[in-house]
Amino acid sequence: MFRKIYSANEFVTFIIILLISIFIGLINPAFFSIASIFDVLRSSIVYIILALGLLPVMIVGGIDISFVAIGALSAYSTHMLLINNGYEGGVFLYYIIACSIGIIASFLNSILTTKFNLNIFNVSLALYIMWFGFVRFFVGSKRSATFPEGASNFYSKFLLTVKDPFVGNSNLHISILFVVIIGLVLMLILRYTTFGRGIYAIGGDRDVALRTGFKVNRILTGSFIIMGGLAAFAGITHSFLIRLFDPTMFLGDELDVIAAVVLGGASINGGRGSVIGTFMGVIVIQLIHRSIILIGIPVTWQDFIVGFILIIFISIPYLKTIIKEKLVDKKVAHEETK
Amino acid sequence: MKKQNNVENGINDWNSIVNLIKNVIKTQTFLLLTALLILFLVFSIFEESFFTRRSITSMLFQLPEFGILSLAMMIPMMIGGDDLSIVSTANLSAILSGFFSVKVLPNILPEEYSIIYIGSIFLLSMIVGCITGLFNGILVGYIGANSILVTLSTLTFFTGISIGLTKGSVLIGLPESIGLIGSESILGIPISFLIFVVVSMVVFIILNHTPLGFKIRMMGTNQSASKFSGINNKKIIIKIFIISGILSSISGILIMSRTLSASYQYGASTYILLTILIGVLAGVVSGKGSVLNVFVSVLILQVISTGFHMMLVGIRGSSFFKDFIWGILLIVIFIINHYREKMKKLS
Repeated sequence: MFRKIYSANEFVTFIIILLISIFIGLINPAFFSIASIFDVLRSSIVYIILALGLLPVMIVGGIDISFVAIGALSAYSTHMLLINNGYEGGVFLYYIIACSIGIIASFLNSILTTKFNLNIFNVSLALYIMWFGFVRFFVGSKRSATFPEGASNFYSKFLLTVKDPFVGNSNLHISILFVVIIGLVLMLILRYTTFGRGIYAIGGDRDVALRTGFKVNRILTGSFIIMGGLAAFAGITHSFLIRLFDPTMFLGDELDVIAAVVLGGASINGGRGSVIGTFMGVIVIQLIHRSIILIGIPVTWQDFIVGFILIIFISIPYLKTIIKEKLVDKKVAHEETK
Repeated sequence: MKKQNNVENGINDWNSIVNLIKNVIKTQTFLLLTALLILFLVFSIFEESFFTRRSITSMLFQLPEFGILSLAMMIPMMIGGDDLSIVSTANLSAILSGFFSVKVLPNILPEEYSIIYIGSIFLLSMIVGCITGLFNGILVGYIGANSILVTLSTLTFFTGISIGLTKGSVLIGLPESIGLIGSESILGIPISFLIFVVVSMVVFIILNHTPLGFKIRMMGTNQSASKFSGINNKKIIIKIFIISGILSSISGILIMSRTLSASYQYGASTYILLTILIGVLAGVVSGKGSVLNVFVSVLILQVISTGFHMMLVGIRGSSFFKDFIWGILLIVIFIINHYREKMKKLS
């Protein structure tokens, strides 16, 4: 049991979270408070949704970067559509329309990868540029901070409020509930449905999955639908939380999300990955961004540090397998000499 | 008897010529050249200013940058990998050698020394490219991480170094002699274009006439087969990324000399897509790749880019529209390639 926990990639991620937290806490003792936990969670909400959307595609064995563009496209065009038609209602319609647009946009990914048998990454690169170009040329390139009346106070709907001696009141936004629900549903899908098991099977070995009788193309389409829908969901949530609809939202965030998923134990060669791991992966990335600010590294060097840490994190799973192989070799050699 | 033989020989010759023509028509290079010609004609008809000396020279000045970058992208593509860090490598080496020329080298030089001057800057930036390539190569080859993931993170890493060094601003005040490469021409042909031609030839020789090129092809076709036939795959991967890094740094110098400045964000958004687009257009796949095809594809892309630029001039947000078109174009070429592969398999 312990060995199983120890050898899981999620365990490494958990240790990293602990180490970074202790490190930040030593520099700034105020970090160990409910307020800062809320703060980290609040900044992670959107990225967790994005990462959970990307997770099935990564388990299947693809790297996709177009999800950020799909998120921006669906959130911004939904907003423009509703605002220009004088919509004054709540957020519910926002989510419905955006998710539909996201799902429709994701069909393009799935058609190109299944019908034409193209590489997932190459397709996503083309769509990434295409959608960002599309939304800025055809939909609009201006940021918008006008909100319909019914949705304008969504950003201040809190689930919990805690009084903190250092920073005053700190709140946990209601959208954390969305994250929990999405996470639970995705976990159930991945673990207990044929579709979910199929995702892992394709990631493990596509040909074997095909011969076992999994409908590979349908499963791929399903994973892309999850990706598109959740990217749109994240786009709307993000815009309401920062009270700004920006056509270039998430531009350049794709690496953070991919790194979070990889860090959470998803193998890029496919077949591995979990919801809890992804959750922790996002927290790690957020903690890194936070600690860089706290240590007082100048803003201009932040990309350097983040890039460096990402390189290390991406190598960790591979280093682990290399070390394991070496240990096995040694064991074999040892037994042979006996 | 003799006469009949001659006639038969004649028929054989004729047949072989027909076969040769048929084979030439089937090749990708011929298709690409036809596409280039058609595009050239179409744009010349619709845009008056397209087929002029001025626009053609400006095209020749613009294309070497991403032409060399496409060569840098092509070689990793030949083993089924991607090097997304090429643009950041180019900018980083431009910034480092720019700093070197501003801070270390004397500012005013007699003209006869300018060749040494440019040479030393080239050397320095190529060393930078070599180091970044080695870095990528070790991560991909020895640690075994996925090349897309590695180069995505090294992209952030190298860009981070560039931002840190320049504090996010554009490096200016470079000596005039650097600009010679980007602005002068010999016999009416821009120097940077000549550099592109020479670099393409070198890459062609490396890929087609050296053991390294043979090993790259073999490894791209089948990694395990090449491993069991005694090729050290890890070393090949490192060499591939080093070549890719050096090529990107040459392109960085060209960008620097054309703009007489260096910045972390030059070409950051579209050049990666363009280079992959060129690679796909040229039919570069794992185990296969032809420098000639890449060269023609670079010309095609430049023609399309300039043509669109002339048509869209004055429309607001036309650069966004261009992005949109690039994306669609890449997808269309993917689909065409897919069908061509299918046809080949059928026949």
